[in-house]
Amino acid sequence: VSRTYWRSLAQIEDRPEFRAAREREFLEEGPSELPDGMTRRDMMMLLGASLSLAGVTGCIRRPVEEIVPFVTAPEDTLPGIPRSYATTMPFRRSAYGLIVESHEGRPTKVEGNPSHPATLGASSSLVQASVLGLYDPDRSQSITLKGARKSWSEFVTAWGELAKAHVSDGGAGLAIVSESFSSPTLARLAAELRTRYPRVQWATYDAVSDENRLAGLRSATGRDVDLMLRLDRAAVILALDADPLLTDPEMIRHTRGFAAGRRAGASGGTPSTGSGQAMNRLYAVEGVYSLTGAMADHRLRLQSGQIAPFLAALAARLGAATGGVASPAGGGVAGVDPRWIDGLAKDLLANRGAGLIVAGERQPAAVHAAVCALNTHLGNTGKTVSYYETKDASLPSVSSLVSLVSAMKAGTVQTLVVLGGNPVFDAPVDLDFAAAMAKVPHTIALGHTVDETSAKAEWHIPRAHYLESWGDARAVGGTLSVVQPLILPLFDGRSPVEVLGLMAGDKDRPGYDIVRETWKPILGEGEVDTKWNRVLHDGFLAGSELPEVAPNVTAPPSAELSRSLAEASAKAGASGSPGDLEIVFLPSPSLHDGRFANDGWLQELPDPLTKLTWDNPALVSPKTAETLGLASEQVIRVEYAGRSIELPVWILPGMADGVVALTVGYGRSHAGRIGSGVGFDTFTIRRSTAPGFDRGVKLTKAGRSYPLSATQDHGSMEGRPLVRESTVTELRATPEEKEKEKEGKAPGALGVYEEEPHHFSLWKPHVYDQGHQWGMTIDLNACIGCNACMTACQSENNVPVVGKIQVAKGREMHWIRVDRYFSGEPTGNPEVAVQPVPCMHCEDAPCEQVCPVAATVHDAQGLNVMVYNRCIGTRYCSNNCPYKVRRFNFFNFTKDTPDILKLAMNPDVTVRARGVMEKCTYCTQRINRGKIDAKLAGRAVRDGDVKTACQQACPASAIEFGDLRDPSSRVVKAKADPRNYALLEELNTKPRTTYLAKVRNPNPDLKGVPT
Amino acid sequence: LAQIFPPWWNKLPIVAAIAGSLGPLLVIAGVWYYFSPWYTDVGYRPVQPVPYSHKLHVGELGLDCRYCHASVEVSAVANIPPTRTCMNCHALVKKDSEPLAPIRESAQSGRPMRWIRVHKLPDYAYFTHVSHVSAGIGCVTCHGRIDEMETVTQMAPLRMSWCLDCHRNPGPNRRPVSEVTNMKWTPPRDVQALAAQLRPVNPPTDCSGCHR
Repeated sequence: VSRTYWRSLAQIEDRPEFRAAREREFLEEGPSELPDGMTRRDMMMLLGASLSLAGVTGCIRRPVEEIVPFVTAPEDTLPGIPRSYATTMPFRRSAYGLIVESHEGRPTKVEGNPSHPATLGASSSLVQASVLGLYDPDRSQSITLKGARKSWSEFVTAWGELAKAHVSDGGAGLAIVSESFSSPTLARLAAELRTRYPRVQWATYDAVSDENRLAGLRSATGRDVDLMLRLDRAAVILALDADPLLTDPEMIRHTRGFAAGRRAGASGGTPSTGSGQAMNRLYAVEGVYSLTGAMADHRLRLQSGQIAPFLAALAARLGAATGGVASPAGGGVAGVDPRWIDGLAKDLLANRGAGLIVAGERQPAAVHAAVCALNTHLGNTGKTVSYYETKDASLPSVSSLVSLVSAMKAGTVQTLVVLGGNPVFDAPVDLDFAAAMAKVPHTIALGHTVDETSAKAEWHIPRAHYLESWGDARAVGGTLSVVQPLILPLFDGRSPVEVLGLMAGDKDRPGYDIVRETWKPILGEGEVDTKWNRVLHDGFLAGSELPEVAPNVTAPPSAELSRSLAEASAKAGASGSPGDLEIVFLPSPSLHDGRFANDGWLQELPDPLTKLTWDNPALVSPKTAETLGLASEQVIRVEYAGRSIELPVWILPGMADGVVALTVGYGRSHAGRIGSGVGFDTFTIRRSTAPGFDRGVKLTKAGRSYPLSATQDHGSMEGRPLVRESTVTELRATPEEKEKEKEGKAPGALGVYEEEPHHFSLWKPHVYDQGHQWGMTIDLNACIGCNACMTACQSENNVPVVGKIQVAKGREMHWIRVDRYFSGEPTGNPEVAVQPVPCMHCEDAPCEQVCPVAATVHDAQGLNVMVYNRCIGTRYCSNNCPYKVRRFNFFNFTKDTPDILKLAMNPDVTVRARGVMEKCTYCTQRINRGKIDAKLAGRAVRDGDVKTACQQACPASAIEFGDLRDPSSRVVKAKADPRNYALLEELNTKPRTTYLAKVRNPNPDLKGVPT
Repeated sequence: LAQIFPPWWNKLPIVAAIAGSLGPLLVIAGVWYYFSPWYTDVGYRPVQPVPYSHKLHVGELGLDCRYCHASVEVSAVANIPPTRTCMNCHALVKKDSEPLAPIRESAQSGRPMRWIRVHKLPDYAYFTHVSHVSAGIGCVTCHGRIDEMETVTQMAPLRMSWCLDCHRNPGPNRRPVSEVTNMKWTPPRDVQALAAQLRPVNPPTDCSGCHR
């Protein structure tokens, strides 16, 4: 298919800002002074002074350096040898099993645990960036009582007195707010606490919550169950306002499964010759462009409030086709071509047992119940979706918070313990948690930083990071995982386990003892230590997943839906006329609910769809913007339910018209030096009755504008054919058909190059026939554009964070970027293709030919090597790089790095200074380590010994890396795929990194159906 | 009128020509040598907090290098021994020696020793001891006759061209792996026989071999 791709509306309209971005890689003339730093003249003066000083001491040896060995060396620590430990990162009710690398006792790099069911060896950007959270310089360093430093033992004493008072009245005045969790130890302690204080009030609140899904499943099955999606088994997937591939906590697992189903049959073979499995097909129905929608073969734009009617219409078709119940809601949905629903229903029915319907977290419980019923109806339960009981869990519940807040306001709460979470910032605004909290005499808050809640609390306790604490968690499916510290708490932090342990037992016990006590009955009789050590080694208890529950779906789908429809229409009627806009609250793909706001890696990570960094504007569709007369970066006033917020607007193609989407988690006031004051706090208009979406919002122009830093136009390659895609049917076309295509001058399967390009090189070709020859492939069909590779690279290669202003000038430093292309009508329903772009390691590299100092050269393994200490910063190489993958240190970005952040650096990679060019090295440090390890083991390097950081992190396994001279290597096999192509092949740079074209799998029945 | 220019001024052009040609050469040669590690680094002999004598411990008592620098065979780093290693013997031997006071102090208080680094590579060079040891490069090749040093002194310039000399032609510096820590090992007459029993190596000469 020949398509026109575009990156931004500015490109389509050929606006000057896009032209500027195309012509200049770095958008501003001159280097280059930090806004309020030293000027160039000051610099020269200082330079002169230091040169004259250098004359005195110059040319003598470098400064004296000390070597400080241990007094008594730990038995298993050898300097220079990183060690890896298994641990678990708890995240809401999920648990990511991880392998963490530790250099001389400091954790530096996080990877997925290949045997853990939740990560399967991969990770996400949140997981990758969590290591930076450990070294956050703004973490609170001490227990405080009204701001004064106190010690833990003083807190223990103070708690003892509070406890005495509460024991006497059965805990009537005691209240606890916690985040949801799924942890045997925390559940045990919570139960003990309830025994000790029977009247304690416990509220579990998540700002981004799956409460509706749990409620829906409860009403459908009559039990407390949660679900586990198996996307790898699904042939037809329908995502209803859902984002299982990005913002869902189980995105790693989901992506792995989805990519596996995507790869099936992608290489063009017919199903009968291949593995027999055909490529999956993804339908997305959604209002806000999500990454799941971006991956969909068919995407329907529909407001979140229209999902219930849509589902009713679909259910009617699914039921009708099998002679089931009659349609409760008629056959159509306003604005949706009925043929679309027909086609979808036919596809789902044709794939009974291999279909899957997923509803998004913000959809009401009734939709989830109906989806559960439909999945059962279609025979998908137990195959593509399975259910298990929520055990050892504290389930999120807004109503529990509502009743707690009213008790607080009534003055019946004497002591409030915030066991993690940040309710002052993220609780629904109508509850006014801060005011309620002020009425409580004693408040205790556990927090990583002195956050909004801790700042208002009487006692603040620094919270230990998961890499510093003992704990446990149940991962998806119920697998018991253990949280094992890699380092003692840096600032004497305490884990929720320890705080709750103190409260439940009035004894100050180390987290290890508490967790061990929980695990004793789990591990059973005999050899407890051996079994425990096994668990610590593996990171989880093998075989501890919970049994699948076959749900006894009580109500037929239609009954569920008619109830939901009634609810939805009641809601719509209650809050505004249908002509109003719909407001949608989104979790941030980077900051989630704001908890990662002080993480520079995540703040600077471009949003997968908007490519915006450091901000959270309101998103609207081009048509809505046109109707309201809005342009990107204009500040608008969002009025909703008696409250308002001013924030900039951003036009995102592919949004449903009439929707304004607000991302939560930004605008923190007490996040720290990175995250405070970044973006806009949209929690200030989010209410407890409609945390997901609602009607009745009004937008007005505020008459100002606010600059946003988007990277979507950066690194432009002048509109040349970069992304290639095809469809399954085209790939399966017989050779004769392909011949016809050629004769007819029609574009072929991969669209662009019909005849062999005739290459001619002025340069003597390099010969690469010795040793290892490294190469990479990136499968655009598997890649979902989730950015995990970017964060993994940043963590592995000490890539600096540059800040919003520098990003706007095109100076972001990411060694691998993920380009996002739209194709199709901007005001309609454009499709998306994503493309990660690292250095291509060209065999005839244009950068090398222009470097005046040979700072970038080739090595014998085919790597395009950047030699930092030779580089003088001419930036010629960057000018001559057709892929725009070279990054220049305009400033000494690491100069002011706080000491504690230096602990997060990878000691195997140079930290670059100002004025030096840098770029992807194919993780040369990992190549060296792999080669040395193989040599010491007395064997050759095997395929898979060397994994680049991006490859290892990728949840879609889209990246293959290996030795091109090893015919059995995965990368060689990938390069033999007919979809393999080189980026800008006509330049004859012979890139070592090549791409496998994207393949779409559209439903032939939906051809020409407008969406 | 007196002569302003005496007759010896006639030699001026010759003198100027010689000085003009030699001068820059001298300057270049001076910078070449005096700014290079051959001058700045070789012979560096800092005073250590404890005057530990390799000559005594290695040369006379015959301790193996790896007794203290234990990680040299497995790690990129050849560790400096923990205080504990010293106390293995000195808890019994020379218990009251005055120069050993800092060691005892460290063992007692738990405060680590602060040794002065002698051999230092730039931060952007990633040297790996284990690769060199396993390839049969003796300690003495880079560190010199440690067993004869009262105070450790840098013997080699540790500059890149010096590294590359060996990487381009490692043969003359190789020995059986079992002899790596032997300070007095001399190559046998039959160099070819020796080369035959060593495993073939292919040391990198590309930037990426050492710089990351």
